[in-house]
Amino acid sequence: MNPGTLSDSKPRRSSSAAFFVVPVVFVAAYFAARAGIESVEPGSIAALGLALLPVPPFAWLIWCFVRGIRGMDELERRIQLEALALAFPIALLVAFSAGLLDLAGFHGEGNWDLPRLWPLLLLPYWIGIALARRRYS
Amino acid sequence: MSAIIDTPGVNNRLRVLRAERNWSQADLAEHLGVSRQTVNAVETGKYDPSLPLAFKIARLFERRIEDVFQPAPLDGALDASKETP
Repeated sequence: MNPGTLSDSKPRRSSSAAFFVVPVVFVAAYFAARAGIESVEPGSIAALGLALLPVPPFAWLIWCFVRGIRGMDELERRIQLEALALAFPIALLVAFSAGLLDLAGFHGEGNWDLPRLWPLLLLPYWIGIALARRRYS
Repeated sequence: MSAIIDTPGVNNRLRVLRAERNWSQADLAEHLGVSRQTVNAVETGKYDPSLPLAFKIARLFERRIEDVFQPAPLDGALDASKETP
């Protein structure tokens, strides 16, 4: 997600930097957790800690996103709203469809693992941004 | 009924007022604290500004808000007025 890139408006430098840094931190935490979980005993405290490792970076990411939206002007906020209004229900649809397919025995490659679903979760957001920008430009 | 439900849109004189001051869209955007795309969208009628932004625009051009923004004509407005006793 990229609040602040729509326009010639001048986002604060710190928040712009955060939008590059925070996703990297989150992805690093996610893959560190994945790698670590495979090497510890399932159900252990260490496994629990590793499984929850990406949560704080993701919370930071959400905070940065909300702060970014608050720094936007009203049209940019409208565009974000329209994009999220498209992306959020589609993300839910993808998530529960993957769950149902899994239950139905269609496990897919990697059991519908999150990294394989990410593009499907992010794509509607980018499509929504593109459609909304086109509508207002 | 349709006149109430339909969003009629707003006409504005933003482009004219801006031209009178020889401002670019970017200049106006800077004065208003919004993006150039927002100014463009308002000028072209693709986006109706919020009331605070509309007041800010009117204040910037030292006009009354109704001198800058006017409601677009409603389709069927004449028929609706005929129904009103």
